[in-house]
Order: sequence, then C-alpha cells, then structure tokens
Amino acid sequence: MDNATTVIKGITPATVDLRGLVKRFGKDVVAVDHVDLFIERGELLTLLGPSGCGKTTILRLIAGLERPTEGQILIDDDDVSRLPAYLRDITMVFQSYALFPHMNVFENVAYGVRVANRPKEEIQERVAEALAMVGLQDFAQRATNALSGGQQQRVALARALVIRPRVLLFDEPLSNLDAKLRKRVREDIRELQQRLGITSVYVTHDQEEALAISDRVVVMHEGVIEQIGSPHDLYTRPASRFVADFIGSANFIPGQFDGQVIDVLGYRRRHEQDITPGAVTVMVRPEALEFAREGESGFEATYLSSAYLGPVTEFIFDVSGVEVFATISGSGISNAERGDTVLLRFKDVGVSLLPPG
Amino acid sequence: MSTNTTSHPSSTGMGLRYSGAWLPAAIAAAGFLALPFGRPGRPFLTIDPDLYAWAIGHPLLWFVLVGALAALVISLLKLPTAPRGDLLIGAGTVGLGAGVLWFLLTATPFGMGALVAFAGLALVIGHALSESGRVQGDAFIATSILVVSLFVLLFIIYPLFMVMRSAVVVDGAFDLSQFRRTITHPLFFFLENPRSQIDEVGLTMRWGVVVGLVSAAWALFRRRSLPLVLARLVLGGIVGLVIGAMMYGRGALPTSLLTVAIVAPACTLLGLAFALLGQRSSFRPVRRSLDVISVLPIITPPFILAFAMIFLLGRRGIITHGLFDLSVNWIYGIPGVAIAQILAFTPIAYLLLRGSIASLNPALEEAAQTLGAGPWTTLKTITWPLVRPGLAAAFLLSMIESLADFGNPIILGGDRNFLATEVYLSLTGRYNPNEAASYGVVLLALVLLAFFVQRWWLGGGSFVTVTGKPSSGALAPIPRAVEVALTAVLLVWTVFVAALYASIVVGSFAQLWGVNYTFTIRHYQDFMRAGWPVFLYTARVAAISAVPAMLLGFLVAYLVSRHRFWGRRFVEFGSLLSFATPGTVMGVAYIFAFNTGPWLLTASATIIILALVFRNMPVAIRAAVAGLAQIDPSLEEASTMLRARSFTTLRRVLFPLLVNTLVTGLIFAFVSAMTAVSQVIFLVSPGNQLATVLLLGWVEQGQLGRAAAMGTILIVSMLLTILVVLALAQRISARVVRVES
Repeated sequence: MDNATTVIKGITPATVDLRGLVKRFGKDVVAVDHVDLFIERGELLTLLGPSGCGKTTILRLIAGLERPTEGQILIDDDDVSRLPAYLRDITMVFQSYALFPHMNVFENVAYGVRVANRPKEEIQERVAEALAMVGLQDFAQRATNALSGGQQQRVALARALVIRPRVLLFDEPLSNLDAKLRKRVREDIRELQQRLGITSVYVTHDQEEALAISDRVVVMHEGVIEQIGSPHDLYTRPASRFVADFIGSANFIPGQFDGQVIDVLGYRRRHEQDITPGAVTVMVRPEALEFAREGESGFEATYLSSAYLGPVTEFIFDVSGVEVFATISGSGISNAERGDTVLLRFKDVGVSLLPPG
Repeated sequence: MSTNTTSHPSSTGMGLRYSGAWLPAAIAAAGFLALPFGRPGRPFLTIDPDLYAWAIGHPLLWFVLVGALAALVISLLKLPTAPRGDLLIGAGTVGLGAGVLWFLLTATPFGMGALVAFAGLALVIGHALSESGRVQGDAFIATSILVVSLFVLLFIIYPLFMVMRSAVVVDGAFDLSQFRRTITHPLFFFLENPRSQIDEVGLTMRWGVVVGLVSAAWALFRRRSLPLVLARLVLGGIVGLVIGAMMYGRGALPTSLLTVAIVAPACTLLGLAFALLGQRSSFRPVRRSLDVISVLPIITPPFILAFAMIFLLGRRGIITHGLFDLSVNWIYGIPGVAIAQILAFTPIAYLLLRGSIASLNPALEEAAQTLGAGPWTTLKTITWPLVRPGLAAAFLLSMIESLADFGNPIILGGDRNFLATEVYLSLTGRYNPNEAASYGVVLLALVLLAFFVQRWWLGGGSFVTVTGKPSSGALAPIPRAVEVALTAVLLVWTVFVAALYASIVVGSFAQLWGVNYTFTIRHYQDFMRAGWPVFLYTARVAAISAVPAMLLGFLVAYLVSRHRFWGRRFVEFGSLLSFATPGTVMGVAYIFAFNTGPWLLTASATIIILALVFRNMPVAIRAAVAGLAQIDPSLEEASTMLRARSFTTLRRVLFPLLVNTLVTGLIFAFVSAMTAVSQVIFLVSPGNQLATVLLLGWVEQGQLGRAAAMGTILIVSMLLTILVVLALAQRISARVVRVES
C-alpha cells in the first residue's frame, strides 16, 4: 500500500455500545454472558481470547449475523439489536476472505455498490478508489484465485471499505496467512485504519497480533470479559491469572505485600499497586528475573535446567515448590548443575500483584 | 414469493423510514376489492358477481380488508422499525385469520381475490416478522419460512391427516368398524384355505416352532444367559410365524410382505455387486456400463419393465413361447412382480451404495494390506464394516420402494393382490373410500416404520448426504474369483434388461406380438391419434410442475441448511414425509383433501401439478443440500455484510455457483414428473389424462402394440432431454468457471 494516499470520503465513524449482552445457543450453552462494552469513535478494539471464549459471537452479534438473547447493541444512539444485518452500516472482513469465486477482483469489490443500485460511473469510481487504497489498482481484472493470500486479504478489505461502513469488523483476518506475511498485512491494516479513522472491532486469538494492532484489548474467557485495557496495561498490570498467562507468559510466586513492599521468601522490594495488603500472588514475567549480583539481596531458587538460545538463556528454577521460568540475557551461570542454589531478584518492570490463590 | 429488490425502502442511517410491507398490503386490499373472493365451481377464472366480497357482505370478510388497509397505513407511519413490525404482524394476522375462518365456516371454494389477498397478507406478515426482529433474516427469508411451512402443512400434512381421518371416521362419526372390517377381510389377510389340500395354519405353526427352536439353539451355542435364550425362542417363534404366514397366507398383507422379503435383499446384494464392480473393476467397459444402468430408473416409467416382461416371458413370450414352446402364466403373481421390482429398484440401491463404496478411503485398505492382510481379509475386516450403513440404507429404501410400488403389481399381479394396488382398486373399483383409506393407513404405517427405523438406526442427520471425495491412492482390487462371478451376474442382468428394452422397441413395430412379427408403423399411427395429445399435455404439466418443485426444493434446502428458525424441524419432517409416503397413499390423500370445501381442486390440472410438485420436491432438496454443502457459508454472510438482501445473495452469489445443481434438479423433477404414475392415477380426469396412466390403461386392455409405441417414445424423449440439458448445464457452468480464470 505504498502509493495509497486517497482517503475514502463519506465515512463517518460511529460508537458501539454493548449493554448487558447475552447470547445462548440452545438451553445450556452460554456463549456471551452479560457483556458491557463501549467502543470509542475511531478506535481499534481487539477481542482476544482462546477459541470458544465468545469473541467471535460478539462480533457476529454486532454484525447482526446473530440475534442477542438478551441485552442491547447501540450504534451511535440507535438501538440496532433487532435490526437485520443489511441495515446496520457495518461490514466485516472474514477469516476465509469469502471472496466470491465466480467474480473477478473488480466485481468482488463492486458487489456492495452494485447491490445498492448505484449508477455505473459511481461504481467505477468507488471501486478504483478502494483498490487504490489497498494498492491493487492494477489487479482489477484478475481472477481472485490467481492472487496470493495477502492480495486476497486486501481485496476483501477493499470490498468492505467500498460501502463506507461506520464500523468495520475483522474476524481473525490474518489466520490464513503465513507468519511473515501476517506481520506486514497487520501493519497495513493498522495504518489504513488510523488513516481512515474508522471504528474497528478486531477478533483474534493471537496475543502478539492483538498487542501490536490495538488501541485497546478486551480479554475474554468463557463468555465473560476478563479485562479491558491498553496493550501496555494488560501486559504490565494483568487483572487475573488468566490474563497474565494468556498475554505473554508469567510465573506466579506466593508472597506478602504490606502496601509498599513485597516480600518473597525474605527478599524485599518496593512496589506501587492498589491492592489489598496481605498475602498476594506475585506475577513475574520471565524476562523480569535476573541473578542477584554480589551484595544484592534476592530470593533462593534451585536450578533445574536451562537451554541456551543465543541472545538469551532459558532457565527453569524451583522456588519453594513452584516451577519458575526465566529468560536471562547472557550466558549467566554456565557451569551450574541440577540442584545448585542461586539467588534471583526482580527487575524494575514486569512484576505485578494478584490476589492470592 | 415476490421479492423486494426493486422496492428498497430507503434507510436513514439505521432502520427503515417506512415498511416494505406497504406494497403487499396494497395488493392484498386491491385483490380483495377487484376480484371475486369465492368461485362457483371448479374453474378459477370465472367471475361470478355474487361472489365478490362486497356482494357476500359477511362481517368476517370485512376484517380481511380492515387488516390489509391497517397494514398499509401502519407501514407508512413514522415509527421505530421493530414496534412497527409488531403492529404489522397483528394487522396481517387479523386479516388472514378472518379470511381463513370464513372459508372454514362457509366451505366456499376460494377464488382469485382470496388467493391474491392471502398471498399479500402472507407477505405483509413475512416483512413484519423480519422487521420486528422476530425472525432472524430479512423479509424474503421470513416470508419464505412462512410460505414453506404453510405449503408443508397444506399439501403434505393435511392430506395425510385426511387419509387417517377417513379410515376411522364414517359419515362424520368416529367408527372403527370399517377399519376392522377391512383388515379382517380375506382380501387383506387370510390363512386357512378350506379348499386347499394343505393345512396352512398347521404349517405356519410348524415354521414358528422350528425357527424359534433354531434361534434358541444358536443362542445356547453362543453361551448366552438363560433369559436371553428364552427371549430368542419367543422372538424366533414370532419371526417363524410371520414367515409361515407370508408363505401360506393369502391377501394383500402377506403378498406385499413376501414380495418385499424377496426384493429388498436381492436389490441390496445386486446393488452392492454393481457398486463394487463400478468402483473397482479392472475392466473399463464394465465401469462405463454401470453409468448407463444408474440412469435407467430415472428415464423409465416404473412399470415399463413389467410390461416388457409380458413380451419376453408371458404366455406368448419370445423366450417362453418362442424358444421353449411353453404357454405359461407363472410371471403373473409374486415371481413376476418380484423380478420386475428387482430390475427396477436395483439401480436405486446401486446409486446409494456407489456413494458409500466411493467414499471408502483407499488408504485404509492399503494400510490393512501393508499390515499383511490379503484381499479377502481386507474385504472382511475393513471394507465390509465401512459399507454396512450404506447396505442398511439400500435395503430399507428397496423395502420402501417395493411396498409402495403400484405399476408392476397392477400389470403382473395376476390373482394376487398387493397393498398398494388395493388402495386404488378399493377406491375406483369397489368405490369404498373408507376401505381405500384403511389400506392407505396400513401401507403408510409399514413404510414409515421402515423409514424411521432406518433413520433411527443410522442416526442420519437431516438431508445432508455424504459427498465423499475419493482420495488418491490405488483401490484394492476385488479378489479375482469374486470379480469374475460379479461380472457374470452383471452380464446376465445387462443382457436381460437390454432384451426387455429391445422387446419394447421391437414390439412397437410388430404387427401382433407373439403371432405376427411383420414390420408396421400402425402402432405409431394409433399413438399419434390417441396418445400424442396426452403426451404433449403430460409434458406441459411436467414442465410446469418441475420449476416450482425445483425452486421450492432449493428454498427448503437453503432455509434448512443455512438458517435456524422456529419450525425448521417441522419443515424438514414434512419434506421427509412427502418423500417416504407411497404414491398411492398420497394420491388417495389428495382426493380426500381437495374434493370439497374451500379446497375444491380435484379434476383439474392444478391438483396434478400440485401433486407432482410436492412429490418431486424432495429430489430437488437432496440435490440442493448436496450443492450447498460445497459452498462456504461465509460467502453468503459476506454478501449480507455488504448490505445485500438475502434474495440478492441467492441471485448473485448462490445461484451462479449452483447453476449445475439446479439445472440437474430441474431435469430430474421434470423427468420424474413425466414418468410418475402411482400418485397421479387418482388425480387424472377426462381432459386431464396423463401419458403414464394412459399407457398403463393400454397395457391392461391388452393393446400392447400402441403401448409399446408410447413406451418407446417416452423412453427416447426422456433420454434425449437428459442428455441435452446436461450438456447445456455443462456449458453454462463452463462459462461461470471461465470468469474465474
């Protein structure tokens, strides 16, 4: 999308407000359980969670492809809960791209304008504009199955943008791409979204993708929102073990907190966090651990094993019965043997407290 | 089903400024005012001034107009979309309900005005259901669901209900005596024949004892527990009694059951043999010839082979009389009917089994062989368990076809009577509607029992057929000896069937079969005079019925496989029911259901077309479901998200992708409408005669020459239709594919 300078006229981004949203399938399966969520105008919000957590269901509820069992969906101030999908000014980019196999690139992108019975010149103009935006202006007459995965993805994006939606939904749009391409397309999507300022809801199960692309991330688990926050907040201050574990990896070490100082096995360290003092679980990122140097305080850990990976070494320690995983730069202790005792300490960032348990 | 692509109610931001229901509401009101609400007799288009709504002046009728006008006003009011939808549902229902109630109270045949008004109001309700959010989907989906459910109710459930009612309600009062008289009558079942030498009851008893003991002995041998052995004894005894009753008893029930007991296993085994050959034969011509065999039952009226058997094996048959100088009658009765049915239904069993043989993964067999299993062991331990469900399906389908078959028994039945023919004979011969209904109920019960046992046993989901793509890998060859034996069977089968078809063609050019074989075109001249107009009429009716059958089938398939809605199970069940119900039963049912009252439709082309539409709809459903299964549902969702209504999605996305399937469905609907006989034989009337019924009549009257001429023309024209249309469909889909590349 190098020479993409055009901006689609006439997109007026909307807010999305979910109030007490519930979706049951059959009698027993609760896919979405009382979700409240407000999506700001022009923001890119990601729904992140393992499969079956209800994120895709929320997306389909917003789209109108499913009807809520309870609750309301407001777009700007209109209650659209009972409005059919085609009246909602929302559109969606699908995981499988869902490009129509019997139409070429132009016809695919033109579809939304064509079914709205717009005049021919307008169709030409808008399709050209949308294709230019995703850098595919020379591909209009190609068959869709002659394109690469990344190009197909961009056709799908152009096809969605051409109808000037007020909200754009992405359903795991990168999961069919290989790892390298995924990174580039994700940057393209983010860049385009910011340039157009279009309100977007993005569903993924890939935490790295979520952190990279989003203004805010909603972490979901079993139909319930676990935490909402900026990527930075979620990583540094996870609200639950689930979030800490799902976004990045984490160690959980029992400790004490008196409001100012954490105590782990006699190792004391200042910490600022609004949490009830007493017994706590200390969440430590693997990269927030380091060896205590001479004269520094630390807590005792038993060395179990290590793997040398070049820039870092991965260690596994036993800290009073809890297995602790650490990535430490440099070779560290190259000649340690299983059962040796070492002294570990926390770095400045990457430590957060959770309620005990 | 009208569409709303042309009259998009424009939306302002979110929601509709006015409801799309205004147009159907206006049409309903206009139809109500401009056209007669009732009709005096059968013809639709007569306009009787006394039957205009205002001339009738019944208060209930005015509610129809009030409902339509209220809907018109409400749809144009400035209201939020959802509550307006709720109001519209109310208005539409009041109008429709009042009209229906009036018809039920007065039993007047409905007129054009009522049709237009009701269709309009149904569309109003459909729009309203969608706009109120009570049905997920747009007006087209909501209306389709409503209309399809109504159709299933009116043209499948209601007629079947009427048959059952007629069996137990005599002169308006519940009365089981007629039903009891029918099933105790010797025509239905009798065992002890005082005039015969043998003691039928005693022999039957002996069968019961012997089979019971054998089954108990087997259980003992397998070291089962004592209660189980006793259970086997009782069960075996019952099976033995049934076998005895079938063999020595007379009447429709044992005759039909005995025929089934011969035909179903034979068809299944032959079908399996052919399927194995078709997939695995090392000999290419064998595989090709099976493709032809699979088309035969589609292009042939079901009884044409029975008719040809008279030519070959009858009293003056070319084999029996010409070759062996015999004059025998043995083909009249169970042997002849059974042979004719085996010939007719084996291709159906073959088609079912071909799928399950084709979907066997060759890798499994290869795995078995790399583990040291020889061809025999592989067949026994891998192939057989995997095709067993297919075998069960083929067996039960052959059972159903044999029970429901009407044409073969009526030609070759001789002095034996069958359940399916008794339905017809008791109505048209003895004019006893209650008896006909009673036979119908028994037949329906047997068939549905078989049908639902099959579905319960196989746990089959909906219509969704297994469309297994054969994966790569070499297929295990059949053991040499088995292949030779199977090929021999196929050869005999093919020669015999070819001889039967040839005899029809030859017979149509011979002066008098069995006596004088000089060439003549006299029979074709007779056919042109007496049969050609009927043939053309049949083609017209079949063509008219094929289009709605295909569209309705496609719609049902689309709704059932792509939408969740209240009543989906009902629609599925109704379509299954229309598929499983024997044609004769459905024919009688239509007579009972549409002979009086608002539903006066008998003795018209309309009822024949309706019967054919709902008869052939399941075929189209199957084809469409299989086609839809190949298409990713997110294509339709993508279209919806680009603000296309579902009708637009159907037209622009699904239709182009399914052209082939739909065209194929259309031909099959047409051809099976052309060759149907069992259902329509009840519904023909002077001026509405059909080719197969006429052909059957000629055979019964012994006018075999002109019957052969008509049979030849029917088969040749059906074959040409299929070939031409399939070639066309291939060209169309080739064009669609060209767009892709």
